[in-house]
Amino acid sequence: MNCKELVYLLGDYLDGSMEDQLREDLDAHIVMCEPCTNFLKTYDATKLICRQVRLTEIPEEFRERLNSFVIQKAKEHHKGLEKYKKLAAEEQKRNVENLLKAFQEQRLAPSLSLLFDTHRDRCETCGGFLRYLNGGGEPKPCPEEIEEHLSEFLEALPAGEEPYLS
Amino acid sequence: MPAERLLDDNVLLEELRNGSSEAVEALFERFYGKIYGLAMSILKNESDAEEATQDVFLTVFQKAHTFKGNSALYSWIYRICVNACLMRLRGKRRQETVSIEEFMPVFSEDGMHTSPIEDWSKEVERKMLDKELGKVIKKFTDDLSEKYRVVFVLSDVEGLSNEETAQILGLTVPAVKSRLHRARLYLREQLTRYLREGKTE
Repeated sequence: MNCKELVYLLGDYLDGSMEDQLREDLDAHIVMCEPCTNFLKTYDATKLICRQVRLTEIPEEFRERLNSFVIQKAKEHHKGLEKYKKLAAEEQKRNVENLLKAFQEQRLAPSLSLLFDTHRDRCETCGGFLRYLNGGGEPKPCPEEIEEHLSEFLEALPAGEEPYLS
Repeated sequence: MPAERLLDDNVLLEELRNGSSEAVEALFERFYGKIYGLAMSILKNESDAEEATQDVFLTVFQKAHTFKGNSALYSWIYRICVNACLMRLRGKRRQETVSIEEFMPVFSEDGMHTSPIEDWSKEVERKMLDKELGKVIKKFTDDLSEKYRVVFVLSDVEGLSNEETAQILGLTVPAVKSRLHRARLYLREQLTRYLREGKTE
């Protein structure tokens, strides 16, 4: 072990990732070598002092400007999201209304019709409502949880397949 | 002070997604200094760093729903920051930086130090809070090329592990270690020269 080797291994030596045997060799060298002892101390001190230094001071005026920018953008972003969610909810409502209308008028495409019949017989949430419509009941607003279920039918439809009979 | 629950990364993200303004405040307070500092260390220009910092927050809002929590929030944000800065750096003329080689230790043929090595570690400990020394270190750091500076800032200033730094920068751990080591050797030598001059004055 010489000073050059020691310097190039210092990183591993100090972060503890070094094998024991190598560490012992290094320790043996350091004890005998004053330049290396000093090098080790100052290398370590360099690491330490750099952790204390705040490299960048942020001007208060900049902080204010950045803060209002971030808050403004966060609001806009959230508003945008809310708007999108609202539109999506409205679209879902419309789709399900059309679906139920077609269901009552028996205009559903065969695959959808099958889905509806199976769902009506199996789903506790929707069964009653669908049977009511089947029995010729007056159309009434679709409860939210039922809307959730039915909207999935449209998504299950293979791409390009028409939901309704023409 | 932001509420304690917002110190939890997942809670903070969840509330951000729900549009909580308190969460936006908490995110800002926790990260703006670090993001700006990192951006400055890469871009070395205040207005570029300010814009990059803005970009980082925008990206965090837009991508808040994609954060999976399999890495720490800060490391995800640092990564966004590094990417934002590198995008800005692209096409810009690289500023002249010092040649790090001039500051590497010199050895004789049989691997011994060729010049005496002074121990100034105690002296620097006393100057820990010295503003002047802080400025000098900042100047030395600024003179480093970006390749070394970014690694140094993440590891030694921000205190991230080598693994985290590697992940953020898309480097291997050995590459991070080697750059970090060279940056420290450079700074050690710069500090040596600075402190020696101070004595002769």
